[in-house]
Amino acid sequence: MTKVFVSAVIDAPIGAVWARMRDFNGLPDWHPRFSRSHIEDGLRSDTIGCVRNFDIAGGAGTIRERLLTLSDSEYTMTYTILDAPLPVENYVATLKLYPITVGDQTLGTWSAEFKVVRGREDDVVDAVANGTFGKAFDVMNELLGRKR
Amino acid sequence: MAKVYRSAVIRAPIETVWAAVRDFNALPRWHPAIATSEIEAGSAADRVGCVRRFTRKSDGGLLREQLLALSDTEHALTYNILVSPMPVANYVAGIRLIPITKGNFTFAQWWAEFDVTQGPEANTVADIGDNVFVAGFAALNQLLSKS
Repeated sequence: MTKVFVSAVIDAPIGAVWARMRDFNGLPDWHPRFSRSHIEDGLRSDTIGCVRNFDIAGGAGTIRERLLTLSDSEYTMTYTILDAPLPVENYVATLKLYPITVGDQTLGTWSAEFKVVRGREDDVVDAVANGTFGKAFDVMNELLGRKR
Repeated sequence: MAKVYRSAVIRAPIETVWAAVRDFNALPRWHPAIATSEIEAGSAADRVGCVRRFTRKSDGGLLREQLLALSDTEHALTYNILVSPMPVANYVAGIRLIPITKGNFTFAQWWAEFDVTQGPEANTVADIGDNVFVAGFAALNQLLSKS
């Protein structure tokens, strides 16, 4: 089992960060790695069990993920991959935000556990940790961070 | 039941911060409000159930606190108050650290739940949150932060 954990300070209040990140259908609105998304079967994006169907930008394939947990009190979202052009199995990921009370900022944490079934583990870890999770926090800082 | 939660970024790696914080007898070495500390009955400071007996700088006031949980995997500890000059009862508190991978810093959280037995609850909540918890974070940053 491979584990990935990425965390970063986002220079914005937790309410603003969560409002952007909690939308399970909203990835292409802000994450440059992804384009086009819809929720299958006409469900709402905050319905536990719903499936998001979205594309990797540049025609690199489609990903389907199921929402397992969404908590507005814990600022947490958990989901699993159903289909992806990524050599992984049993992929479960969790996004969780924490308020930083000193300075009114946000700690973003994003973790995943999965089994790499083909290719080099390092390449998969890099794509998930840096290409997806780390990039997301960079973008949140660009979009929402205070201008100092 | 009153709740206090304070959190801050400590600009040092989690191993460094945890080494300072996990020692249940080390408050005088890093917290500016604490003068002296000893562990009662000759116990080790990382033995769950041990009691620290320490005094405040401001008035020499005595506190006794018992270690309820200590986890090197979670970078977390929990304790309760046995004796304190503060107007609180049923006081349980904890510290938990989370690594900040971007920059190799530490996210520190300090929380408490208790009943206020005297005076306005908001005053005691602010006193503990700001003068104990946030003051502790500031001291850790001064002591440990990377230059």
